[in-house]
Amino acid sequence: MTNVSTANRTAPNQASPTLLAVEGIGIRFGGLKAVDGFSINLPRRGLYGLIGPNGAGKTTVFNLLTGVYQTQAGRIFLDSRNLVGLKAHQVVAAGIARTFQNIRLFPGLNVLDNVQLAGQLHAREGLASTLLRTRRYAHEESEIRRKAFELLGLFGLQERCLEPATSLSYGHQRHLEIVRALAANPKVLLLDEPAAGLNSQEKLELAKSIRHIRDTFDLAILLIEHDMGLVMDICEQITVLDHGEVIAHGTPHEIQNDPKVIAAYLGADAATV
Amino acid sequence: MRKPNPDTPFDSPTPPRERGLLGTLANSAWPILLGIALAAALHYFWPLGPGWLYYKKVVLDVGIAIILAVSLNIVNGMTGQFSLGHAAFLAIGGYTSGIVTYYGSILLWKSTDLHGGVLGPGAWLFVFACLLGALVATAAGYVVGLPSLRLRGDYLAIVTLGFGEILRVVLQQTNPILSPDQLDSSSLKNWLPPPVGGAVGFNGLPTYTTLFWVYVFVALMLVVAFRLKRSSLGRAMISVREDEFAAQAMGVHVARVKVMAFMIAAFFAGLAGGLFAHESGLILRPLDAGFLRSLDYVIMTVLGGRGSISGVVLAATLLTVLPEYLRDFDQYRLIVYSLLLIGMMLLRPQGLFGIHEIWDWRPRWFTRKPQTRSPSNEKRGAA
Repeated sequence: MTNVSTANRTAPNQASPTLLAVEGIGIRFGGLKAVDGFSINLPRRGLYGLIGPNGAGKTTVFNLLTGVYQTQAGRIFLDSRNLVGLKAHQVVAAGIARTFQNIRLFPGLNVLDNVQLAGQLHAREGLASTLLRTRRYAHEESEIRRKAFELLGLFGLQERCLEPATSLSYGHQRHLEIVRALAANPKVLLLDEPAAGLNSQEKLELAKSIRHIRDTFDLAILLIEHDMGLVMDICEQITVLDHGEVIAHGTPHEIQNDPKVIAAYLGADAATV
Repeated sequence: MRKPNPDTPFDSPTPPRERGLLGTLANSAWPILLGIALAAALHYFWPLGPGWLYYKKVVLDVGIAIILAVSLNIVNGMTGQFSLGHAAFLAIGGYTSGIVTYYGSILLWKSTDLHGGVLGPGAWLFVFACLLGALVATAAGYVVGLPSLRLRGDYLAIVTLGFGEILRVVLQQTNPILSPDQLDSSSLKNWLPPPVGGAVGFNGLPTYTTLFWVYVFVALMLVVAFRLKRSSLGRAMISVREDEFAAQAMGVHVARVKVMAFMIAAFFAGLAGGLFAHESGLILRPLDAGFLRSLDYVIMTVLGGRGSISGVVLAATLLTVLPEYLRDFDQYRLIVYSLLLIGMMLLRPQGLFGIHEIWDWRPRWFTRKPQTRSPSNEKRGAA
């Protein structure tokens, strides 16, 4: 069931199946162990789920992985590159992009600009060429814009690319968040409750889109989700978190029948019934 | 229903055509060349009559206010860092350039009189001095920008306010100005602290500030501001203003963007300081580094709208011209400002033009179809 402790310590070659190797990371806030000894091995093109009751520390795991919080133990390797100690903006550049549980689009930017902002991550041109409007700068900008515009096609948002981001419907805003994360050209995509607030039809479409994105962009995806139907449907492996610790890890089928998971969700008594 | 935007991807899905070095220069330089031409026209076609002298001064003041307000808007409006010390950069630029032109003129030409015309040697010394002042102000902008990495909102405002007030007090402790005769016999004691006039102010500066140079720099400021706004860096600045956390998660180097905003703003404030110091009928005083002057420019940016360059230009113009017409009520200026600010906060917290430019604006009844909103969006707005 677990291969959590076999994280690759040595530099793996390109054929290594593990893309993101996380080993025993954790953080305490004062006396509270928010996350403790969290490990996961995410393979290339893997589609893994992270579930757990409210307050289990799922989003904190994302914050640790993306450098918002610095892990106090363990290690994080992306393609054999150590990510521990990198700041948030460096982690994105290294190849981990995320969406947010509460939508965090930039209301003052239009739909296209929101995507371009993430797409300009690897832009090379500096202040001087920006102000002088050199040819190289113009070329780079139009490339970023073109790519951003293409990405918007994923969810049919192209027609609305000049509207303010917050004028989109809630579902479209969720889509835009995903597009924005994709624009950063990541190797690993972290989705924090992408289905929250969507209706069942939208959820079905989202599931399809997530698989589609994984296949077209050759990504590994880790998603936090409360909708069990969606998680069980699309995830290959699921990690269950409770009180900051991993209590189970396995295929959807194994997770559904794990007494510890049932206890965590429904209380200790329910597991014995 | 939306106006076609020059930035729309539909226009340029393909890379721009090859232009060559000259082509690039022509393409990137034409707005500033146009600005120089307009400034020259303004300068040479300005009527000579004595009655026009007064209006000339008002127009000069408007230009300087535009530079200061638009540059402050890069920090306060676009990047969302509330700075209350913008006048400090003005003072740094003004005093630095003043030292260069005053003592430079004495060394070069034995007097502080004007030397040459609009493009004469004196004017070039003046422009060099302004640029030097701007660079020193930029360095100060870097120093003031650093606290913005750790402080937010009110706390940053307090630090920047403190910076201006400290500078004001320091400037009051400087030595008296040395006249050309005194200069030969001056010792180190006269130069430490620098002889820039103390509390009296730095008077006797050659009055090189002309309509031409002010509006050349206004043009430069506007070109830089607009290009910045519609660039990667501008987007990054806006994202820092809107949501620092999300900006970081999208790969924006927040610290770099903030410090950059402070430095660009300080550069232009320093430049404006040089123009201010050499304007006839004005004396650069330590008070000009202080809070009250900073507040003037903050009000201009608040009135114009955060991030709206044209809005801020309009506000700077209005708030410079209006007090001239209301001279008799000068002592009530601050009361009017306060009322104006309160009114703005109640009625239009986003400023006259919000984040839009004047040309984006149209009456609401003009748009035919109201914005369609989905039920889920409605619910969210209410929550």
